Amino acid sequence: MKTTADTTPIVEMRNIKKNFGAVQALRGVDLALHANEVIGLMGDNAAGKSTLMKVLSGAYIPDGGEILIDGKKAHVNNPMDARRMGIEMVYQDYALANNLDVAANVFLGREAVRVKLGPIGVMDNRHMEQETKHLLNRLKIDISSVRLKVERLSGGQRQAVAIARATAFNAKVIIMDEPTAALSVAAIDKVLDLVRELKSQGSSIIIISHRLEDIYQVSDRMIVLRHGRKVSDTPVVGDIHEFREQVVAYMVGARDDFSEEEVA
Amino acid sequence: MSFIKNAQTLVRENIREYGMFIALFIIMATFTVTTNGIFISSRNIVNLVNQTGYIAVLAVGMTLVIVIRHIDLSVGFLAGFLGAVAAIALVSWHLPVYAAIMVVLVLGILAGLLTSFLVAQMGIPSFVATLAGWLGYRGAIQLITRSTGTIIIPNAAFNAIGNGFIPDIPDFGILPGIHKITLILGFLGIILYVTNEIANRRKMKSYEFEVMSFEMFALKLVFVSGLIGGIAWLLAGYQGLSWTAVVVLVVVIIYNFITTKTVLGRHIYAVGGNPEAAELSGISVKRLTHVVFGSMGMLSALSGILFASRLQSATTMAGTLFELDAIAAAFVGGVSAAGGVGKVTGAIIGALVMTSLTSGMNLMGIDISYQYIVRAIVLAAAVIFDVATRNTGK
Repeated sequence: MKTTADTTPIVEMRNIKKNFGAVQALRGVDLALHANEVIGLMGDNAAGKSTLMKVLSGAYIPDGGEILIDGKKAHVNNPMDARRMGIEMVYQDYALANNLDVAANVFLGREAVRVKLGPIGVMDNRHMEQETKHLLNRLKIDISSVRLKVERLSGGQRQAVAIARATAFNAKVIIMDEPTAALSVAAIDKVLDLVRELKSQGSSIIIISHRLEDIYQVSDRMIVLRHGRKVSDTPVVGDIHEFREQVVAYMVGARDDFSEEEVA
Repeated sequence: MSFIKNAQTLVRENIREYGMFIALFIIMATFTVTTNGIFISSRNIVNLVNQTGYIAVLAVGMTLVIVIRHIDLSVGFLAGFLGAVAAIALVSWHLPVYAAIMVVLVLGILAGLLTSFLVAQMGIPSFVATLAGWLGYRGAIQLITRSTGTIIIPNAAFNAIGNGFIPDIPDFGILPGIHKITLILGFLGIILYVTNEIANRRKMKSYEFEVMSFEMFALKLVFVSGLIGGIAWLLAGYQGLSWTAVVVLVVVIIYNFITTKTVLGRHIYAVGGNPEAAELSGISVKRLTHVVFGSMGMLSALSGILFASRLQSATTMAGTLFELDAIAAAFVGGVSAAGGVGKVTGAIIGALVMTSLTSGMNLMGIDISYQYIVRAIVLAAAVIFDVATRNTGK
């Protein structure tokens, strides 16, 4: 295990609160992600995992708390803000346009422009296709052509494209919401390999998952949420059975490492 | 034979794209036979092109509307209404032709933005919003033509848009009776097409992207060149390229450029393919809805101008059923009801298919009731084809 306590986290969320009407989805959650770290974010349904990540990625505005990026206070008001600050989210349903090809999806919303004719930009397709090709090679993603339409790809390949897209613009942090849901076993292994590959290339990643095995395999640290509060924030150690028992204990409320801090 | 195999895979992989060309070819060949060649005569083809014009521009706009998963039923009577406004602008307000056209085009854009306001801002389904438009513009056209009835447009310049032809160089002995400028334009078109394709292929190869085999590439060049040359020859045999054809060509070239080469075009298709994903990528779905309906309104105005000019008058019933012809043309041209799929060039082919049917059946003297039924079958067949090739298109 590397020591991370003395360095400035790449992203820090402090005391994040979010209500939906009378429902307190997040009741003051702290989260710190360090450079080149993979965090597994777990919790039962409605524990607040996705809400927390949507706050970080700009999809939700929090009702309280603050976000620091590289130690500086950041205002994330929408997904584009978050992207500009280097926070990329890979959505559960991939969020790809199936009618467009791989390169078009990787560059969607950030197309390379060759010439600008007033408000209309002429795209530099060749540049985008080449960059996409390099990107897929670098991440060892096996897709025969960047001109294949996404609708022709398998579920695993689509997830790979969605992840590649998140990494295409030097993201500081990549958030993955259930990246292995709805995938075959072989495809899951490929996605996990991709996560390891990204980590080896220096990325910092937060993974939301229901699958404890996935978190166990790729994460350095696990954070468990329960009823909108953080109940565990510990390194991933020990064997898978210990890990599983530990996580389940936190998820069902049998253990809670932060019960006093809630009052403060 | 690898050549035949190549051809087979090429057709199979692009069946959606080639399907409508094949359909157009079959329809034209059939009518040529059943009318003893009258259908393919220069005079009829020129007429056909002029009749297609006002539907074709609507079909181009409609394609984009359907691509972003909407529909616009108001375009027919909007075209009729704006055609009448053009007539009034020329006859009663005594505006010069260019001013009348500008006014009408701007009104068209405003009408389109009114629709998109209802759809994007108020969240009204486009089917309902534009059905209201259908009723409203129908009322509007009757209102402004009530006191006058049909408005005759006595303006030669305006009427030339729907009836005139581009000028020709004077006859100097060679090719008498043939429109030489049209032939030259056709020739230039072929050269432009061929050099462009060859340059493209060379670039693709240098960047190590896959290209089709040389034989297929050569065959495609010969085929398309032959098509352009043939059409140019036919048109040149009568009075040459009509102004309507010029207008349609300009619209197609601009829209094809925008949809295939620009960021705006890419975003339109992205919104059609997955609106949520587009929005998450920072694309404003609302803004694109305004752009697409605004363009539809402008093209409706253009359609109204073309139609009024062709009839040299504005009538109370102008624009009736244009919207359905345009929607049918868009579907025959390969647009998909699921959104995100459909080309501007396809819309033109679709419009040609629909007008060829009408023209051919008229020449054969087929009863109008049967004509509707035949067009219904062709439209249904086009959508069935779309669905069938979509499911097996793996």
